[in-house]
Amino acid sequence: MMRSSLLRDSLIAIAVFAVLALLPFVVQGKGFTDFMVRLAAFGIFATSLNLLVGYAGMESFGHGLFFGLGCYSFGLIMQTFPVSIPVAFLATVALSIVVGTVVGAICVRLNEIYFAFVTLAFQMLLHSLIIAWTPITGGDQGLTGGIPRPPFLGIRLDDYYHLYLFSTGLLVASLLAMYHIVQSPFGYTLRMIRDNAARAPFLGINVFRVRLMAYVIAGAFGAIGGMIMSLFVSGAFPDFAYWTISGEAIFMIMLGGITVFLGPMVGAVMLLLLNDFVTKMTSHYGLVLGIVILLFALGLRKGLMDFAADLWRDRQTASGPRPDTAAKAVTSAPARAGE
Amino acid sequence: MDLSALASCLITPSCVITQTTSGLIIGLLLFLVAAGVSLIFGVLKVVNFAHGAFYMLGAYFAYTAYQLSGNYLIAVLAGGIGVGLFGLVFERLLISRVYGSPVLMQLLVCYGAILILDDLVKIIWGADFLSFGMPSAFQQLPFVFAGGVVPVFYLFLIVVALAIAGLLGLLISKTRYGKIVRAAAVNPSMVSALGINTGVVYASVFVLGGFLAGLAGGLAAPVRSLTAGMGTSIIIESFIVTVIGGMGSVAGALVGSILIGLVRSFGTIGFPLFTEGLMFVLMAVVLVLKPSGLFGKGGA
Amino acid sequence: MTKRAPIGVGRRSVLKGTAAVAAASTIGFPFVSKAQNKPIKVGMVTVLSGRVAILGSASQKGAQLEIDAFNAAGGLGGRPIELIVRDSKAKPEEAARIAREFINSEGCEILLDADTSAAAFAIQEIARETGILTIHTNSETSSLTADPKLHVPTAFRSARQGIHDAIAGGSYAAEVSKAKKLNRWMGCSPDYAYGRDSNKLFFEYLKRFHKDAEVIGESWPKLFQPDYTEQLTKILQSKPQAVYSCLWGGDLTAFIDQSSIYNLFAQTEVFAINIADYAVLTAIKNLPKGIHSGSRYLATFPPTKENADWSAGYRTKFKEYPLNWSWENAAGTKFVLEALKKTNSTDSKKLAEAISGASISVPYGVDGKLTMRAGDNTLINYPTGWGQTIQKDPFVPDVKSVDWKMILDLETEWKKTMKYI
Repeated sequence: MMRSSLLRDSLIAIAVFAVLALLPFVVQGKGFTDFMVRLAAFGIFATSLNLLVGYAGMESFGHGLFFGLGCYSFGLIMQTFPVSIPVAFLATVALSIVVGTVVGAICVRLNEIYFAFVTLAFQMLLHSLIIAWTPITGGDQGLTGGIPRPPFLGIRLDDYYHLYLFSTGLLVASLLAMYHIVQSPFGYTLRMIRDNAARAPFLGINVFRVRLMAYVIAGAFGAIGGMIMSLFVSGAFPDFAYWTISGEAIFMIMLGGITVFLGPMVGAVMLLLLNDFVTKMTSHYGLVLGIVILLFALGLRKGLMDFAADLWRDRQTASGPRPDTAAKAVTSAPARAGE
Repeated sequence: MDLSALASCLITPSCVITQTTSGLIIGLLLFLVAAGVSLIFGVLKVVNFAHGAFYMLGAYFAYTAYQLSGNYLIAVLAGGIGVGLFGLVFERLLISRVYGSPVLMQLLVCYGAILILDDLVKIIWGADFLSFGMPSAFQQLPFVFAGGVVPVFYLFLIVVALAIAGLLGLLISKTRYGKIVRAAAVNPSMVSALGINTGVVYASVFVLGGFLAGLAGGLAAPVRSLTAGMGTSIIIESFIVTVIGGMGSVAGALVGSILIGLVRSFGTIGFPLFTEGLMFVLMAVVLVLKPSGLFGKGGA
Repeated sequence: MTKRAPIGVGRRSVLKGTAAVAAASTIGFPFVSKAQNKPIKVGMVTVLSGRVAILGSASQKGAQLEIDAFNAAGGLGGRPIELIVRDSKAKPEEAARIAREFINSEGCEILLDADTSAAAFAIQEIARETGILTIHTNSETSSLTADPKLHVPTAFRSARQGIHDAIAGGSYAAEVSKAKKLNRWMGCSPDYAYGRDSNKLFFEYLKRFHKDAEVIGESWPKLFQPDYTEQLTKILQSKPQAVYSCLWGGDLTAFIDQSSIYNLFAQTEVFAINIADYAVLTAIKNLPKGIHSGSRYLATFPPTKENADWSAGYRTKFKEYPLNWSWENAAGTKFVLEALKKTNSTDSKKLAEAISGASISVPYGVDGKLTMRAGDNTLINYPTGWGQTIQKDPFVPDVKSVDWKMILDLETEWKKTMKYI
């Protein structure tokens, strides 16, 4: 059964990729391909964060650690060594797995807000390191001088259409891989730990190991997002390791939804479009974006896809009127945390 | 790294006095912001990322009040009371709607608010950085104790901040209000069952937190430059303090703030290029060894 | 509030144009003659929000001033210039995105990079990739143009450069030090690339001109640090005779205010290169007397009537003082406009050839001129000098200008030691 669903999903992925590959011939202009490359970077990054937040219940504030690591590692390898892009790519994934294992071993023991803050601390440590280690990282100016892009397998990444294909291909492949992870028995173990971490050990589950694996996997995908970004800007900047980049991924998953697999993708599309549109239309970026965010957050009180999924479920079950969530929330919040 | 400089400082009384007061002043102003963050988290379980923006508003309110009145005391009170009232509006209008939502949703709401507030400040007060100017009462030569130098204004700030810390401690530990707040932090449904309106308690904590942040903004205004976005640097440090001291503990916030102040004042002599990194190391170490912080109860 | 009003194309002419288009399309004619009046789009990437919002506000005004004058004079054969300004929020990746958006979606033919240094490096890569004419109007980081590895033939800098300021500052400080016997120095500069470079080079040239100078300590506040207490007390402990700082903007005003209450200015001479800019001078309520400062922009330096008039005109138009960023952007824009007139083309390569080595006549230049040096595409011969502050306007009354020949000689030597040439 696993195999047949993998086959089916792979076929869907190939079809989606084929459509994406043809799109630039329909939607003219490099504006579109530029957007899609950024979407690939942020889409993978946000979806990988949601592996932690949505499926494992691990609310990380420091996922940007891996985005920054991916950017810098890939950029530095390409600038320093005469290797091909796939080699730098794999080396970066390997490095992020190593870092993820070490940092994760320290972090995943902690729960809730403590996990959030300790991940933030590690991310800011990487940021401090990038800033302080100027001879290697270029300090606050970032990696300058561009990232070399030697052709491989007939792919020339200095061509915008090739970069587009490469990025969207990685996006589709990463989404497929992550989807399979959350649908696998491992994915269901994650959900069980999220819902009841205390019970899991009685079922013979090593909670620490499972959470660590989730952290490492999410980190590796986060680094892939970072690599695409470094190709897009042809460099790497300390901003990519700053807490604000984690913030952006968090906003994407909260806007798009955490209970539906494609929620973060929807959120990434929303936030990027919003950003580009608002920047274009007004110099009062903060005012407009802030109001839109508040309308979403307070109007829906969940991500768009979560809202849609609930709506769908309500229709299906045609249940009675929903309880007044506001009243329930006020009393339940402190009670939950006081446990 | 310059450990010999640090060592020679530690054996010179004048250096110890100057750097210690310097650490105290950094720490105590930070405390006024961090105490609010900690209280709000302790009682409401809300991580108020907008608290830095509260501090910014306090500074700007004080700036305008000072322009109008020329009186520093009025300016500081305007900062405190103005932001206290703003805290009430903020809690009723925004935060009260996301109680019980995931912490990341609360974060999103705070972020939206920060974006709006930073832009509003730019629209109202302009894109230029503003300088408040030192009130004439404090334009005096600094005190000198045993070779250590302490400006008059900083001595005033230290006294005021310590007094506020003391009053806050009394308020929380000795008064009926304090008992209710502490009870609400532990068991809100019980408080509610006793006929106390928890909604009012929550709102009052936001008013108190806002008041403290506004005071901090007003108090610091004469020596800091006012710009939109000035809250960003203080909010990250407030979180470090809150984590180190223990979330929800006012005493922890005080100790944590002073600790951070001292790390910065002595760190700049020993590790001038890595003081920031040092604070994050400290935070990670505390989280790993005692996640609930130095003054927090229980483990994670 | 989009910043894209094609100034000079008044409402009436726009209406006329629309009417003509409407008429043409009803007849079914392809509308050819309109294309000739199509505005030339210039995209400006800058920071309009957050703590350095003033950078964008001053940069935009500087460029707009020149563009308005150009359009009022008829534009390029009837084609007006349209300036589009967008906010990168001080994020390099966003600056890169906006630059690409300007080129790929907006049809901009010229880029003005009025962003911070990190963004300048990101935009330099886009200039390399697309070959679009790019003027960096604010980045002072020397390597951007000095390092041949980063060179892009169509990219220029119309701003001050760190190495020039360091040589000028070092030589001035050495003269003062020799006269006053200031030998024990300390640095207090922001901990990022510009701050570290500026600090290092200033002391290098100070020691070169004044052999007895010795750096007894350095303190490194963070960029945008609200509080300098720990740095100040460190300085007080070390008891230097003089302090150098390249803090700027709001950080600098806070530093000055905090130094005042420690009575620092009575104990040491302070050399703060970035004070003589009106945003700083007018913000500080009690500007201490006698701080040594480099000239950023002053209406009294260069001390000509033309410069004073330019400053007054700017103030009348925008109800604000002109800043260093104002003239840097005005100059960058002027280079582009002159090249447009000269080549009568918007081709980036042709424009770049026209700009390289060109001189323009501007009120804020040395002897009324600024030069874009060929080879490394950077601005030279801009006013640079040092003086001491007083409390009131003109704030820095007596600015001693520094000889450009010496600056250029030492710059060449520096480039050799850096292996740039």
